[in-house]
Order: sequence, then C-alpha cells, then structure tokens
Amino acid sequence: MTDRPHVLDADAVVFAYRPGEPVLRGVSLRGQAGRLTCLLGPNGSGKTTLLKCLLGQLTPTSGEVLLDGVPVGGRSPRELARLVAYVPQFPTSAFSFTVQQIVLTGRFAHTGALSLAGPKDLAVAREAMRMTETLAFARRTLAELSGGESQRVMIARALAQQPSVVLLDEPTSHLDIKNQLRIYRMMERLADDWRMAVVCVSHDVNLAGRFADDLVVMRDGRVVAAGPPAEVIRADVLREAYDVEIDLIPAPPDDVPLVRAR
Amino acid sequence: MTEPAETPPLSAGKLAATVAALLAGTLVVGGLCSLVGLAELTAQVWLSRALRLLAAAAVGAGLAAAGAALQGLLRNPLAEPYILGVSSGAGVGVLLGLALTGTIAMPLWASTPVLAFAGALATCSAVYAIAQRRGRLDPYSLILSGVIVNAFNGAIMLTIYLYVDRYRIAEFAYWAMGQLPDSTNLLLLVVCGGCVVAGWLALLAQASAFNVLGLGDDVAASSGVSVHRLRLVTFAAVGLMTAAAVALAGPIGFLGLIVPHICRMVLGPDHRVAVIASGFVGAAGLMAAETLCRTIGPWVGAGRVPVGILTALIGGPFFIYLLRRRFREVPA
Repeated sequence: MTDRPHVLDADAVVFAYRPGEPVLRGVSLRGQAGRLTCLLGPNGSGKTTLLKCLLGQLTPTSGEVLLDGVPVGGRSPRELARLVAYVPQFPTSAFSFTVQQIVLTGRFAHTGALSLAGPKDLAVAREAMRMTETLAFARRTLAELSGGESQRVMIARALAQQPSVVLLDEPTSHLDIKNQLRIYRMMERLADDWRMAVVCVSHDVNLAGRFADDLVVMRDGRVVAAGPPAEVIRADVLREAYDVEIDLIPAPPDDVPLVRAR
Repeated sequence: MTEPAETPPLSAGKLAATVAALLAGTLVVGGLCSLVGLAELTAQVWLSRALRLLAAAAVGAGLAAAGAALQGLLRNPLAEPYILGVSSGAGVGVLLGLALTGTIAMPLWASTPVLAFAGALATCSAVYAIAQRRGRLDPYSLILSGVIVNAFNGAIMLTIYLYVDRYRIAEFAYWAMGQLPDSTNLLLLVVCGGCVVAGWLALLAQASAFNVLGLGDDVAASSGVSVHRLRLVTFAAVGLMTAAAVALAGPIGFLGLIVPHICRMVLGPDHRVAVIASGFVGAAGLMAAETLCRTIGPWVGAGRVPVGILTALIGGPFFIYLLRRRFREVPA
C-alpha cells in the first residue's frame, strides 16, 4: 500500500449506448480519499451511466476512468472489487439470505473458490455491520427490514469489500427524511473517519449541498458546474441544470443556502 | 452484547459433513432399492438392477443439480432444464442418433451423448438469445421462450419420426416417455456419469457467485463476479449434464424443479449447499422413483411404468403451486 490517498479520476468520458447518440459527452470528475462527492442533475442527465463507467461496467467510447492512475477496465473484476464497491438504489435479494449472509457476499473477491468465510472475513463483516448499525438484525432477512435498514445492509455489504472507493446510486431516493439524514451522515463518516472516496448520485440538492465536500452538477451528459457546495449551489447554475426557477433561502451562517424550486 | 446476533457461517467442515451425510443417505437408498423388485434376487438380477440404479442416480443428480444452478443463475424459482427446453434440445440430438443408427459409423455410447450435448447447447443459446435484452434476462420471457423452444423441438422430433422405419416408432415413443432401459449400456453409463460429475463440480465452483448474483447483476459485477462468464460456464455445465441425463433415460421432467426446492426448504438458500444437496437428493429420489415404477407396474396393469411419467405427474401440480405462490409474493 502506498501512502498516497486513493483517487478515482474520470477524464473527458464519452459514452454512447448507440453510435451517434452519446449519453455522456466528455465528463470529468474526481473522487478523492476523505471526500464525499455528490453527483446532481435531472433524470436522464447521465448520472447512472457515469456511475457504471466509474465502476468499470461500461467502457467509455473515448476518455478514460483511472483508479490510482490505472484504467478501471484494465483490472480484473476481483481486483477491482477489492478497490471499488457499489451500493444500488433498490436493495433486493432474490433468495431469503440473512443480513449476515448478504454482508458476507461482500467478501467474494477476498475469498477462494467456494467463498468460505474465515475469521478475518467474519471480523470485517462484523465491523461493517457495527458501523452501519445493522448488527442487531444480522439474522433477519431483507424482506423483514424497512427500506432504511435494507439500505444500511447494502452499505455494510459494500464496506465488507474493504474498498477505497464507494459508489452509491441514489441510496436515499425511497427513504423518509430521518433515514435520508442517517445515510448522509454515514457517507460523511466513511469519508472523514474511514478515509474513503465516496461518490453518491443524489436527487436531493439540499442534503447533497449540506453534506458533500464536492458537488458535480450534470445535464445532458455534460458537467454544468463542479466544486465545493458554496460555489455550486447558485440560482443560475441550478436553473440551467434543472430548467426551473430557483429561490435560495439563507441558511445559518457558514451553511450553504437552501434551495426551493419556484 | 446481549444476544448472539450472528450465526456461524458455512465452513469447510460443515460442508464436508453435509456431503458425507448426503452420500451415506444416497448409498443407503440405492442399496435398499437394489434389493426391491419382482424378480428373484440372483447375482445377475442384482447386477443389472444396480447398473440401472446407477444410471438413475446419474440422471437424477444431473437434472437436480442443473435445476438448482439454473434457478440461482436466473434468479427464477421456475427454471429447470425440462421447462427451459434444454432437455428437448438434447432429445432431438438423441433421436437423431437413434434414427441414424446403422447409417453412421460411431458407436451408440459416443454418438448419443455428443449429439445430445450439441442439441442441448443449441437450445440453451436459442432460449438465451430470445429471452435476453441488452444482457438482461426477464424471468417470464425466459419461461415463455422455453415453452416456444419446447414446441419447436417437439415438431423436429415428430419430423424425425416421419423418416424412420415405422416398426421402430414404438421404441422411439418409449424413449420419449423418459425411462431407463432394461439393460444399461456400460460404456454409455461411464461416459454420461463422467459428464454429470464434471458438470456438477463446475457448478459447485460457481455456487458462491450465484449467492452474490441474487443481489442483482450490478452488485454481483461490482463484487468481483464476471457475470457473462458465469452465464456461459453455467449454461455449458447444465447443457452437459442434461445431455448426459437425456442420453441415458430420455426426457425426465420436473425433477430439477422439485428437488432443489425441497433442499432449499430444509437446508436454506445458500447455493453452495443447494447445488451439492440437490445432486444427492436427486440421485436418491430418482432411484426410489425408478424402483417404485418397476414395482407398481404390474399392479396398475402397465407392465412397466416409465419414471418420466411419475415425475411429470408429481411435477406438474408442483409447478402450478410455485407459480401461484410467486404471483402472491409480487405486490399488486
């Protein structure tokens, strides 16, 4: 391991599902260890496609995604899984696995052919469940949990991969405000205390503005604005991105203003 | 901490103990079955019975383990070699082999499995190509493509019937009912048994990936599973095992549906256990079913009852039960 902090770098990424119809038109983004980066933008702006390029599941038509200087596509799936983890929008489990079994699947890339968990795997899984406060229902199945609890299980599962980068796809889109807050606080802790690079696709401008270290606002496959929340949460930027008139409501000092669509 | 929140996970020791227990149970069932029958128990009768039961064990293990793996790969409790049309594809190959007997130079033990494997793989590719859209598989499209491909393969089989000597049609029809022949071809048994074991081991090596795949393609891929490769290896192994089963006993349906469900109900959803257990329980189950069919034959006035009829009579209602339960689970 080097002392250099881990960096995920997307450089001028272009991607098209069909030739001639690019979904991403030259997107650059940087996720750094110890920082929470939130990706904002209207539906269809290319956020999820960008996330898949960052995960190495889609190969950019041009441009590249580098992890610590090496293209993500150049690493084997197992190698990549030990560096980058993913949390889906909707937690699902086709089979009635317990929470503990689900978290242990995060050890897939660290274990042998049968993926039998050793003491170290158990310790890592336990630590991940403790961090996400899911240890109490380790024996229950996903179907028995609430939306917020299930999402925390998926975060625990991602942490069990011991990654240096965590990518989340709208993890709070179906949660109530208390659970939204809880997930954002958790992401903040992963960046601050666990020194991970956290990149989160978000629909909530206010939560993202409040917790993120960096914001990236997209529209039509391009980056409209990027930088610290104080620079990005501006009426003109958000109007351009979302096509609505925006009122900014002053928040307590040192906080970014609240956004209200008119 | 007040209560032990976690359960001990699957360990190598626990897995080995499960295998030992299942193997012992299967051997006991096989041993008992070899003693049951109408004919007087001479050494020669016992040997031919034991060979037939070995064939039944290979067929049962192959179909049940293949079913467990397909259900894991496709996240679909209704997936099974017979329902997805893999069996009928292998059947076309076997029938072609039977029809060409005498025309081609290869011996039966070589030509039948090879043609069956070719048919099974062709059907796997066809079903997959019909049901997939941009690399995603919709569970219901998959079942429907299975239905379509089954009907298509049925038509090809009937076409083969048209061209064979009409005196041999009875032989073909008996084969199509799914039954183990009275005298087992030893070489065919060795070749097919080897295919089943090889496929079974290949599926066991994929079993932990099925567990991850249950959480979604994206989650699996980001956890280190090569989803595309997993599909290829699984379909190839399932094709191989199904081909071996069909070459030995003709199309036997629903075993790959019933057995994995029973195993999961008793032993939990972990595919590493389900793939192993389904193989053993499938072997024991088909040996028992075969013995039952041979024994009750005269009582129902049919001489001998093909075991494929029994599995279909049990499996049909079971399929409907699973289908209804699945619909109930899906919120309106």
